[in-house]
Amino acid sequence: MTIEVSPVQTPAHPPMPARAASLAQAPMVSASHTAERAVPQTKVAVKDLRFYYKNYEALKGINIDLYDRRVTAFIGPSGCGKSTLLRVLNRIYDLYPGQRATGQVLVDGHDILTPGQDLNLLRARIGMVFQKPTPFPMSIYDNIAFGIRLYEKLSAQDLDARVEQALRRAALWDEAKDKLKQSGLSLSGGQQQRLCIARAIAVKPEILLLDEPCSALDPLSTQRVEELIAELKSDYTIAIVTHNMQQAARSSDYCAFMYLGTLIEFDETERIFTHPKERQTEDYITGRFG
Amino acid sequence: MRRQQLEDMLFRGTTKLFAVGVLLLLGAIMLALFIGALPAIRAFGFTFLVDSTWNPVKQIFGGAPAIYGTIVTSIIAMLIGVPLALGVAIFLTELCPPSLRRPIGTLIELLAAIPSIIYGIWGLFVLAPFLQSTVQPFLKATLGEIPGFGILFSGPPLGLGILTAGFILAVMVLPFIAAVTRDVFMTVPPMLRESAYGVGCTTAEVVRNIVLPFTRVGVVGGVMLGLGRALGETMAVTFVIGNAHRISPSLLAPGTTISASLANEFTEATGPLYTSSLIELGLILFFITFVVLAAAKLMLLRIERQAAK
Repeated sequence: MTIEVSPVQTPAHPPMPARAASLAQAPMVSASHTAERAVPQTKVAVKDLRFYYKNYEALKGINIDLYDRRVTAFIGPSGCGKSTLLRVLNRIYDLYPGQRATGQVLVDGHDILTPGQDLNLLRARIGMVFQKPTPFPMSIYDNIAFGIRLYEKLSAQDLDARVEQALRRAALWDEAKDKLKQSGLSLSGGQQQRLCIARAIAVKPEILLLDEPCSALDPLSTQRVEELIAELKSDYTIAIVTHNMQQAARSSDYCAFMYLGTLIEFDETERIFTHPKERQTEDYITGRFG
Repeated sequence: MRRQQLEDMLFRGTTKLFAVGVLLLLGAIMLALFIGALPAIRAFGFTFLVDSTWNPVKQIFGGAPAIYGTIVTSIIAMLIGVPLALGVAIFLTELCPPSLRRPIGTLIELLAAIPSIIYGIWGLFVLAPFLQSTVQPFLKATLGEIPGFGILFSGPPLGLGILTAGFILAVMVLPFIAAVTRDVFMTVPPMLRESAYGVGCTTAEVVRNIVLPFTRVGVVGGVMLGLGRALGETMAVTFVIGNAHRISPSLLAPGTTISASLANEFTEATGPLYTSSLIELGLILFFITFVVLAAAKLMLLRIERQAAK
């Protein structure tokens, strides 16, 4: 079995400021590059996760493992809790009072739900891309450089290199290289979404959360984003929420079917789509759900 | 068919009349001010803008102290009021527990409902003595000791003066700016905010880099609304500014503003030149607010053009 070494994770870091140093020393250390492709290692272990919007229980005891450098797709009808689950993983729900989670979410064995977490650090390690493109109100270059500057002090040259690298990885470099100084909002919808992905991977997260990243995109842009996902999974643990069965089948290694806040079935994507164990899963993926 | 056309025409005609009517009114006011000011303009010409003599006995009038007072009190009001108002708006939209959001927001809006005469009385009887006994001596002892800069805080602490007027104005413009900026801060899409937090921003970084740039047009609008009010505010300022027609380098010294002069002296204006000079001051105030608004619009246009590039 070949060993894949990613181009993104290898460059040596220049001296970092305090904030970035703590990033490097944080207990979550990415799995070594020598991990074999065949034996997936657990990156995120979710244990008996319950989530509440005020008194409404949106997640009713979820247990699931996300594997390192694999794509896990979450499917299920609207309101089943897929997006909620994603929002727990980087604790973005914390922005809203009245939302709370119980249970455990272990990232590399470290429970992120315990109080006293450095949430900014956590969110820098776990990138998120939303349904609609959300470019920051600044230039294309700054959209990418912004996140990097928060955690690392780089020389202008190194920063340029990092921005280029991120844009190349997101397959946006050729289209954007001549207008880096222009506003991120001047790009088309599909380009904006790739910009958001580039922004998310520029800070070198370990986990990438994609919440219906293609739902606002045309088929061609969707295809490009899917190619991107395939390309990125060699370096990142990816969780993707999607309403598109084909997309889940095409781009994921593992697939989780959720319904009304519970996890109905979780298995390798191939098995889910060919021999689902549960009747509900079968009904849903074949479109007979009623 | 024909009846409907007629209705539409009538409707278009009436609404157009309203719109044009406002423009006509504006033009008429300007014209009336200009005609009223004409004797003073003829008598003093350009020197009216730079002369600080105000001598009703000899019938020599210069508007410089009033213009200076108007601009300086407004600058002080903005320097104090804008950061406070932005702080309030940021707290209300980004940090405040939801249960407190409405009460605090309403209370701040209530500040705008206080009649300006009340602010004047409060300023005269409460704020001015307080400033005189504590704040102004403190400013004299600290900022006043800085070479060069200290001249702004020289002279006796009188309580009444430019600085006090600026303070009052700051309190008065705060609710306007805070309410407008809070409303525009709320227009930031939650997902944009979340993605900023998602790359690891702190709240301060989100506000500085995302919320403010995203809402800058609205924020500038709010600030201009406040500035417009500060420039034109009459009653409260008249109470506390001391009403002295002179330009003093010290902010602690009494001064006057255009609107305060008008309110104070219109009834006792003897002779047509006196009245005309006051009207010319009014025309100048009109002009200043017009220039401020136009500058704001131009600035916004430039910002938008840059952002679109």
